Amino acid sequence: MTELLALSLLGGILVLDGTSVGQFMVSRPMVAGLLAGWVAGAPVEGFLVGILLEVYLLVSFPVGGSRFPEGGPATVVAVAVAAASPAPGAVAVGVALGLIWGQLAALTVTALRTFNGRLSPEPSGGRLTARQVVGAHLAAIGLDLLRGTAVTAGGLVTGLAALRLAPLWPLGESDTRGFILVGAAVSMGILLRSFGGARKRGLLFATGLGAGALGGAFL
Amino acid sequence: MTGPLPRSEGPARPDEALPPRTSGQARPPSELGRSVLASTFLRSLAIQGSWNYRTMLGGGFAFALLPVLRHIYGSGGSEIERAIARHAVHFNAHPYLAGVALGAAARLEHEGEDPEMISRFKAAVKGPLGGIGDALVWATWLPTTLLLSLAAAWWGLAPLASVALFLILYNAGHLSLRVWAFRVGLAEGKRVGGRLRQADLGHLTETLTRLGAVSLGLVAGALLLSERAFVGGAPFWPVLAAAGFVLGVTGGLRVWRPTALFVVGTIVLLLITQGMF
Repeated sequence: MTELLALSLLGGILVLDGTSVGQFMVSRPMVAGLLAGWVAGAPVEGFLVGILLEVYLLVSFPVGGSRFPEGGPATVVAVAVAAASPAPGAVAVGVALGLIWGQLAALTVTALRTFNGRLSPEPSGGRLTARQVVGAHLAAIGLDLLRGTAVTAGGLVTGLAALRLAPLWPLGESDTRGFILVGAAVSMGILLRSFGGARKRGLLFATGLGAGALGGAFL
Repeated sequence: MTGPLPRSEGPARPDEALPPRTSGQARPPSELGRSVLASTFLRSLAIQGSWNYRTMLGGGFAFALLPVLRHIYGSGGSEIERAIARHAVHFNAHPYLAGVALGAAARLEHEGEDPEMISRFKAAVKGPLGGIGDALVWATWLPTTLLLSLAAAWWGLAPLASVALFLILYNAGHLSLRVWAFRVGLAEGKRVGGRLRQADLGHLTETLTRLGAVSLGLVAGALLLSERAFVGGAPFWPVLAAAGFVLGVTGGLRVWRPTALFVVGTIVLLLITQGMF
């Protein structure tokens, strides 16, 4: 129970970092995975799930008013599920739930932003007090923390229920990673396109590919 | 700048009236005081705290500028209430570059500039500050630093070191950009357009996209030979991943959601069929 609360609160704090306060990118799946793994008692496993989700969410950025999958709570949920069982199926269930939860969390961002519009004070006679502005601003930040905590808690409860399916997963550990990375490779392709496309950046990409493979072979 | 800053009249366009400053470091208006400016800068870290579809960053902008407004107009009374209302209206920009407008607004308020002009100035800069920031930070700096750290992670760097590498690298750029933006706004006031052009952030973005493409290749190469990735699995996974990569390059962002749905759907389907048989 304590772990569940701690993970939920971590989700809330990560949500704040995502948009409302700081944006130091502690909320990125790579970082969130390690943090959630620490709380769940499995930092390395948490990190490995985090870097898998990170590749999926490489193209998810908090751009203006756009709706984007929220990586922080998604990763906390995925890591908690993956760390709860040594079966490879736990990673698959965790990643699947993380991808779903990122989208669901994004819907709650839209709802909160709509509500914030009502919370935002209207000038009366061309005037606003400092108290009104500070109050509305801090209330919105507090609500975001609550939203993140609640969304993460919901994901954790769902995840623990879904974990019963994990033993049914037919693939081993390496093949599970391979399967998940196939989907993640699509995000990498999208990113190359956003960097200018294969024609414009193909040579640079190929140079990196060679260096990356060499690094993988010798490091 | 030791005395009061000269009051200036002029158009609202950010770079229209005066030539950009060509030499010297950005210097904040000293009369505002370090604590006021530090407080404003720290508050700007939470400028998106009350982001909404009506005023967007408006509430956050007024929240961040409050220390300056209190310094100029005092803690109560109609003047500060009017000033707060003026700054709480609709505004949007990239959060890291919003400091340009914030610093400039602080300077212009300090100079006793016409409120109408300040409002027009903010309206003029919000579009460019959003576009430049999105391209520089979200589309290039963030993915590039993530990719470099991911490559290191797949080469076998320890989890904590990989995460530290990312956070240090990313936030060195992030915080430098925030500080620079605030200082430029303070130093240049409504002439920030010229300074932004001089800084040539577009060229920096272009350079970073090149580095990003190399970093993306590094990750792809590392994945192929990493025990944390494809090594140990069936040989067809890298082939399927290459096909997925091509799909991403050709399809762009619109294929992301269907791909995620496909992955989730396949996992659910495999679990259900295994449970049935």
